[in-house]
Amino acid sequence: MTDTAMRRLPSAATLLLAQIRYQAKLLAGGRAVVIGVGLPVILLIASSTRQAHPSAADIAGYACFGLTLTAWNTYGVRLVAAREAGVLKRWRATPLPRWCYFLGRIAACVIVAAIAGAATVLAAVLLYHTHLSTSAWPGALAAFVLGGTAWAAAATALSAAIPTAEAAAPTLMLIYFPVIIISGVFGSISEPHWLYTLATYLPAQPLAGAVTSALSHPPGTPLLPVRDVAVLAAWAAAGLATAIAVFRWEPHRPARPRPPRR
Amino acid sequence: MNASGIAVAAEHLTKRYGALAAVDDLTFEVPAGQLVAVLGPNGAGKTTTLEILEGFAAPTSGTARVLGADPRRGGRAWRARIGLVLQSTSLEAELTVRETLALYARLYPAPRPVGEVMSLAGLTGDAQTRVGVLSGGQRRRVDLAIGIIGQPEVLFLDEPTTGLDPEARRRTWHAVQDLTAAGTTVILTTHYIDEAGYLADRLLLISAGRLLADTTPGRLRAQGGPPVVRYPLRDPALTPDLPPGLACHYDPHARALVIRGGDVAGALRDLLAWTGPRSLDLSAIEVGPASLEDAYLTAIGELPGSTS
Repeated sequence: MTDTAMRRLPSAATLLLAQIRYQAKLLAGGRAVVIGVGLPVILLIASSTRQAHPSAADIAGYACFGLTLTAWNTYGVRLVAAREAGVLKRWRATPLPRWCYFLGRIAACVIVAAIAGAATVLAAVLLYHTHLSTSAWPGALAAFVLGGTAWAAAATALSAAIPTAEAAAPTLMLIYFPVIIISGVFGSISEPHWLYTLATYLPAQPLAGAVTSALSHPPGTPLLPVRDVAVLAAWAAAGLATAIAVFRWEPHRPARPRPPRR
Repeated sequence: MNASGIAVAAEHLTKRYGALAAVDDLTFEVPAGQLVAVLGPNGAGKTTTLEILEGFAAPTSGTARVLGADPRRGGRAWRARIGLVLQSTSLEAELTVRETLALYARLYPAPRPVGEVMSLAGLTGDAQTRVGVLSGGQRRRVDLAIGIIGQPEVLFLDEPTTGLDPEARRRTWHAVQDLTAAGTTVILTTHYIDEAGYLADRLLLISAGRLLADTTPGRLRAQGGPPVVRYPLRDPALTPDLPPGLACHYDPHARALVIRGGDVAGALRDLLAWTGPRSLDLSAIEVGPASLEDAYLTAIGELPGSTS
């Protein structure tokens, strides 16, 4: 055993915190995250031309739009790009525990996505003097964290099936927009009934419902609807379990190496 | 490392992709502190061999041991003793060079100081530059800096100087020499034969996944065949004018007369007899033993006229 090997490795907790900080800096520093923060606020302002004060459901919808853009599209595209560039392979070869990288990346995404969601709510408060009860912020933040985890975990799981960085954005968008639209994030959809029912099992509608509930919080009701929380928790758990099972650290490569030159 | 001082060992190592054997029954041992260059043409199995030794790929059969452990089962402590530079650059573009190195340094129990590593890799002037705006050669230096920041006992370098300018290559060579002088075991793959000749204690020649030769640069060159006369002939208009005894030695790829073996004095006489009346410059003529590159090409059967 050498001197290097005998010295103590840094603790996993220290490395996890460093990873979260590093990944958050990468995600928040990218230009794409500006869309997650800026676009929902622009849409919120644009919608005010139709009504003087946006409703809790409108604010929640735009906040969820920003959050999911970050936790699904921006995060997913960056994850695939990092894998295909060999960045994940490089990390895998270091003494960093693999779960630390994995968890650090998702935790950082949830933090940045929650900030994107909170920015829309803050804009509503500042621009339209939307009144929020004292429990609204913690309730909304809890919903953002749970929803961000569900979307980021699902994106991590799906990333294994995306072969190239170029394919990442189209693949993620192809799933994202139909889910967001049928879930009523930009306005409720109640017909056809089967579509509405389907949406209640996807992670967008329960997220928007939980945030709406937190922001309006009628007296005598739970801060977050139990069913919405359960659906989001199920997506988070299933996404994480699938991601752990199928996660790819190395770039896709041709099925066979090049034949030797003769 | 095991008790006998062997840092890296491969025994009947084989990696198959369907019917194709990318690595075919490789057996070798590398003592601690040695620098071994793995040479071979594209697709020979060099990178696949390295990937097995680094723990990225599992062999189809055979065993690999690095610092006494199966690379596929190496834990954190084992990975802290290994450094690697992958074949292609693998960096996040948003961080500065210093931030990147500080981030990786934090992972190891006894990292080299970031400033020292930047100096060693020639990156001191780029400390505050974002990795994304560095040139390809500078990024390659960052790769090398990350590979050595944990003070590895075994360092895998997969074509580390590809894309570097000559000055940067030399600097990298010196950095690698410093590491081997300090006792680091280095496994290097390269397409630059001069690099292998300059750095390596030992050469493993691989072709079609099989080990063709386990030798040293000196021995390989000695086995490279008879003396060679080289005379650059850049002007293609002159080649039809060559007498048959010289024309058969013209190498169109090298754009030179390359006369291997036989009667060197006679070859020089013929050459002088041809160049004299044409007043051709003779300052570029070379007479000497086969180059390491010639010897390598002969060994892998790629040199025209080689029999292996």
